[in-house]
Amino acid sequence: MGIAATIREPAEGLIFLGKKSVDPILRTENLWKLYRAGKVEVPALRGVNFEVQPGESVAVMGPSGCGKSSLLYVIGGLAQASRGKVLVDGNDLTELSDAARTKLRRHKIGFVFQRFNLLPTLTAKGNIAIAQFIHGDGFDPHRFEVVTQMLGLAGRLHHKPSELSGGEQQRVAIARAIINEPKILLADEPTGNLDSKNSEVVLQMLRQLNKNLGQTVVMITHNPEATTYFDRVVHMRDGVIVDGVPAD
Amino acid sequence: MMGELIARNLLHRPLRTLIGVLAVGVEVALVVLIVGLTSGLLTETAKRIEGIGADIMLQPPAASIFLGFSGSPMPIKIAEKLTEIKYVQSVAPALLQFSSTGGVDVVYGIDPDSFRAVSSGFVFLEGHDMEGPNDLLVDDWAAKAKHIKVGDTFNLLNHDWHVAAIIEHGKGARLFVPLATLQDLVGAHDKASIFLIKCTRPEHTEDVMEEIRHVLPGYTVRPLKDFLSLMTSTNIPGLQAFIDAMIALAIAIGLLVIFLTMYTTVIERTRDIGVLKSLGATQPFIVRALLTESAVLCLCGIGAGVGLSYAVRAAFLAGFPTLSILITPGWILRAAGIALAGAIFGASYPAWMASRKDAVEALSYD
Repeated sequence: MGIAATIREPAEGLIFLGKKSVDPILRTENLWKLYRAGKVEVPALRGVNFEVQPGESVAVMGPSGCGKSSLLYVIGGLAQASRGKVLVDGNDLTELSDAARTKLRRHKIGFVFQRFNLLPTLTAKGNIAIAQFIHGDGFDPHRFEVVTQMLGLAGRLHHKPSELSGGEQQRVAIARAIINEPKILLADEPTGNLDSKNSEVVLQMLRQLNKNLGQTVVMITHNPEATTYFDRVVHMRDGVIVDGVPAD
Repeated sequence: MMGELIARNLLHRPLRTLIGVLAVGVEVALVVLIVGLTSGLLTETAKRIEGIGADIMLQPPAASIFLGFSGSPMPIKIAEKLTEIKYVQSVAPALLQFSSTGGVDVVYGIDPDSFRAVSSGFVFLEGHDMEGPNDLLVDDWAAKAKHIKVGDTFNLLNHDWHVAAIIEHGKGARLFVPLATLQDLVGAHDKASIFLIKCTRPEHTEDVMEEIRHVLPGYTVRPLKDFLSLMTSTNIPGLQAFIDAMIALAIAIGLLVIFLTMYTTVIERTRDIGVLKSLGATQPFIVRALLTESAVLCLCGIGAGVGLSYAVRAAFLAGFPTLSILITPGWILRAAGIALAGAIFGASYPAWMASRKDAVEALSYD
């Protein structure tokens, strides 16, 4: 079966359904991730069952080493699951080849990292535009303008990452992540390298994306204050989800 | 976008890029200059011999086309036999002698009258024809290279010569002395290294050659109009192997530097590769980006190499006017093709390595 045939195209006329129970955009079933350390297999995820509805914002919280990042990488298709299922918009990542997961990631997932991970040789504009280029639809000036205006980047587009503040770099990273309208935005400790002021700005922007555009957001954090910007908080410990309660 | 990414990546580390460009440039220049020097010298020598104006050259049995290499001169009386052959208009004996005074030269010992008869004579730029036993004729290129003027005394073959004239180049040798004097100097009385033969009409050349083969079996008879086609690197033992070895060495330099450049690039950009993968870049995309970057680096190097070739040629010709370096579009293209193929090959492993990187590991690389 070809790559194209294994990935369902997004449904036309998708309506934002808020927290209503529909087919989840993301679901894991008994998800295991094992890492090999010499001859020993170390489990990072031990049977995670987890669902995210379209348009939902979820914060995954837990101490260091509990498996949060592993969960993010597996549901983002960057790492292959050892056992179980990962369904992203109906596509089981565990059954896809590396190339098919790459294609799915390109069309349905956007990543924001703790260390921003901008390409140092490109300007802010280049860092955003390269995501459009890889996506394959070419440069869309209208979408580009809307996103950069929304994130307050209009005056900083011709600067390289080294010339931007941490907050500006993270906003460029968010712009890059959402420029292709992904189904899910995955954020890995996006405020981990920011001061409190910039952290608040970034968290506000993630909330706006969720509330105003219906962007599904899954964020990993160990900061309890950051979770207040999200619909739901999921706690992880020792590679498993220990609860999942609506945030205050 | 790919173009911008590549350009900015190359400019990000200007010194590394410059080293890569220079390495490819040296590779291209080495190929172009080595081939240009050998083919230039061969072509120029052949044209000079063709320029004598004779129709046929007779050499001893098993003689080389590289005149002066043959160590066994022929009796000068052979000239009498040759003049008796039908359609032979004139015969000029010449004794050839290597000289290493101020460079390597082949000195022609000639009889001015007979040489004039087969070659329609020299063009005198300055001075006069040989009149005395110690008169030396020098062509304009050699005069420039050796800083010789008419009236100078010039020591050649441990003998002081009087520079009688500067002649136009293109008549076989660059230095001409009287045959009898040269015979005395090298102890080859009544001997000649070659006989130059002029036919009554050029179309009789084949008939005369056939008759010479009949009269002097075993001797080497060559038509001078085809001399250029005989002067190729494949006709010199070991020369083609030497050229091939030098080209291989040049390719190895370019390939290794490109490999090292792209390898360090990939190591340095490990995290960037992880970022590209997180954005959905496929393995072919990453391979293509790195190979294109290598190709662009190589194209800059090719440009530098062509410029370097012309600069080195100009410098050499300024210092050594008798040298001939033939830079041809064909060999520039071949050198460019070799460099490009080497650059792609050299970048292949680093590109493959980059495309196979684990995205998660790459993203956590410091």
